[in-house]
Amino acid sequence: MAAGTGNGRSAGAQKALESFRKRMNRQAILAMASCVHCGRCTETCHYYMALKDPKMAPAFKADQVRKIYKRHYDWLGRAVPWWVKGKDLTTDEQLRDLMDVVFGSCTMCRRCTMNCPMGVDKALIMRTMRGILMEQGIAPQGVLAVSKDQWEIGNQMGVSKEDYLETIEWLSEELQNEMGEPTAILPMDKMDADMVFAINPREVKYAPMSLLAAAKIFWAAGESWTMSSEGWDNTNFGLFNGDNALGGHMGKLVFSNVQRLRGRELVCSECGHGFRATKWESPNWTGMDLEFPIRSFLEVMVDYVRDGRIKLDRSRNNVSVTYHDPCNLSRSGGMTEEPRYLLQRAVVDFREMHPNRADNWCCSGGGGAMSMSEYSKRRLEVAKIKAEQLRATGADIVATACHNCVDGLTDLIKYHKVKMQVKLVGELVADALVLEPKAMISVPSLEEFAAGQTILVVDDDPDAVTFLSTFFEDNGFKTLTAADADKAAKVLLGTKPDLMTLDIIMPGTNGIDFYRQLKRDERYKDIPVIIVTGVNPNIPGNVDARGVLYGDSGMPAPEGYLDKPVKKELLLMTVKKVFELGKVKKEEVFTAG
Amino acid sequence: MGETGLLHFAEHRLQEIALFFMAVVYILKVVWILRFKPMRERTPARGSHTAGIAYSYATLVMPWAMESSAKHPLRYAEFALFHLAVAAAIALSFFIPYGPQLIAGAAMQTVIKVVIGLGFIAGVIRLVRRLTVATMRVISSPDDLFSITLLNVFLALAFFSVPNDKPGVLVVFFIVTAFFLVYVPFSKISHYLLWPFTRYYLGWHWGHRGVYPKVN
Repeated sequence: MAAGTGNGRSAGAQKALESFRKRMNRQAILAMASCVHCGRCTETCHYYMALKDPKMAPAFKADQVRKIYKRHYDWLGRAVPWWVKGKDLTTDEQLRDLMDVVFGSCTMCRRCTMNCPMGVDKALIMRTMRGILMEQGIAPQGVLAVSKDQWEIGNQMGVSKEDYLETIEWLSEELQNEMGEPTAILPMDKMDADMVFAINPREVKYAPMSLLAAAKIFWAAGESWTMSSEGWDNTNFGLFNGDNALGGHMGKLVFSNVQRLRGRELVCSECGHGFRATKWESPNWTGMDLEFPIRSFLEVMVDYVRDGRIKLDRSRNNVSVTYHDPCNLSRSGGMTEEPRYLLQRAVVDFREMHPNRADNWCCSGGGGAMSMSEYSKRRLEVAKIKAEQLRATGADIVATACHNCVDGLTDLIKYHKVKMQVKLVGELVADALVLEPKAMISVPSLEEFAAGQTILVVDDDPDAVTFLSTFFEDNGFKTLTAADADKAAKVLLGTKPDLMTLDIIMPGTNGIDFYRQLKRDERYKDIPVIIVTGVNPNIPGNVDARGVLYGDSGMPAPEGYLDKPVKKELLLMTVKKVFELGKVKKEEVFTAG
Repeated sequence: MGETGLLHFAEHRLQEIALFFMAVVYILKVVWILRFKPMRERTPARGSHTAGIAYSYATLVMPWAMESSAKHPLRYAEFALFHLAVAAAIALSFFIPYGPQLIAGAAMQTVIKVVIGLGFIAGVIRLVRRLTVATMRVISSPDDLFSITLLNVFLALAFFSVPNDKPGVLVVFFIVTAFFLVYVPFSKISHYLLWPFTRYYLGWHWGHRGVYPKVN
């Protein structure tokens, strides 16, 4: 950090104070000034309820930022700062301590605000400070990496345009095969469509099923829709990191491409923060007056059902389903009834969790928490509250309308051993679709790719090895196995596989470190890798699989990411995607040396 | 200055000066807050601003609307009693000098004493909680502790100022009231000045997005 300013304050602290002053608008000032320390927010916060640490009380956390206001703005605080717990910002160490509070101890879910008698918007306080810290590069590594990707590449997973277009084209072929209809495609850059569909990059990289489900629904409804080759990412790390400039940059990318395509409306796929950022925040960040409305895919599906454009048969989802209200959709967007309308018609047994709607507990993965490897352990611990809530429903499936929540819920389900699956609302609707009799459903197969191909399964779990090996061999692949990274390295000396599945938690070198070694080795860096991971509560240290996805700027992300227990359908689709997108190249066999 | 003269000064001139001071500081504070620009909203509304704002204000008297009060009904009752008592005590500081006939009747005096007495008990409970519960201790500042103590003293004096036939008590009551009026605008007690603003903006924001009124 730069040298001091001469007034006893570090350059970083001085810069932070100047930024603080610039960010004080009326709502921020009121949030800073109005807390009466009544403590009513305490038990509404999952961090406090799980950890029972008084310093996790929302009022305490907000006060770590508020003390700056008290010292520099509060009239009594300027005269007698200690009387109102005002404290000056003078050192860089204070800034780093603030990072732990505003990034690592709060998902900005606003549950505390919902329960505050004064109406203090603590998320606003946290976000304000996040923005101040971001200006100086003080943020969790994953947040910095993803923000950089959004600035430089235009999407949060650094997906190249080529990869994106190839994936969409491949999904179109999948849809055509499944529907038996050449018109069942994912249109790209179609002009004058009624709807431009913006998605979460997770759907391109790791969750193509959800995009396929949406495409199926659009096709069944006879929708005039398109995707855009540019500005297709509706997610927005500007919302998480407090950087309104990034927020505006991402918003402008999406909006300008809707304008380019002359789309009549913009529809966002199921991403809570993405929808909130796109619909509610980006128009303010960009300053653009938009000629088109912005809706959520949930609203579109509701209209389809109400208008009879799609028909649902709930008996096709003969499971019990509960619904998790994403914070950004419910507390920050009022969208609570649309998913319930759909689920009541798409599943046999829909049951509420309690509390719900605007009072729901956070999935613990919000506010960018999924990208913050440094705080994974804490995130999973505080998810205990959500786990208890899920367990109490006794449901087979928890549906949600947010990809971030899918990841957050998936992690906590494994960590806290809740017997439940996670699905998006759109996936359940697609599963319940009643299609015209002419639609022929073909069963996808890997056999056309399998000839001469070898897959290396690296996993210390014998059951996982058996499952994966059997699956691949049934589809015609040759498989090799290794129970840890060292054994895998020995296998690689003799045979270069065409694809590798890689567990993360293994004895010895963990999968993340091994993955990094592979990507730095000229001999092996082009081996496609599908991460297959569970979460072991007894993990040593703080190994976080998602760090591979978010934290390693400059390192290519894996070709696939699957959670254990692995769903065959998703495994099939992921492996097909790898081969069909030409990621596999034949190489000469290495001899042991 | 005799006792009567001191009491007269305390319940009139001293109060007037203190009230004037408080009013000036409050006006300056409101002007200062309004100098900060509000965040501008460009998006079309999903819900109703009016309904959102009304709901936001109404949560004050709807303990079921917030989990934090619904799960702790006794604490809500304590909050209500305490604030009613403070309002009654403040009203008393006006009635005694300017409308003593309004509190002349035994029934009215009983009501006032009961309200203020219950509020005082609530205030003591709040102070004890602030000192003994870890989460309250860690968020409390000296101003928080002093404010609740000051208010408890104010309530106790108000309790004994009814009936208003004890000049010694009344003098102390009005001196403390004057101090209270001078201190309040700078302390957390002035939250009642900010409350209409914060609830307004939150109500507008959540009404705009269709979050308020809440669907239960």
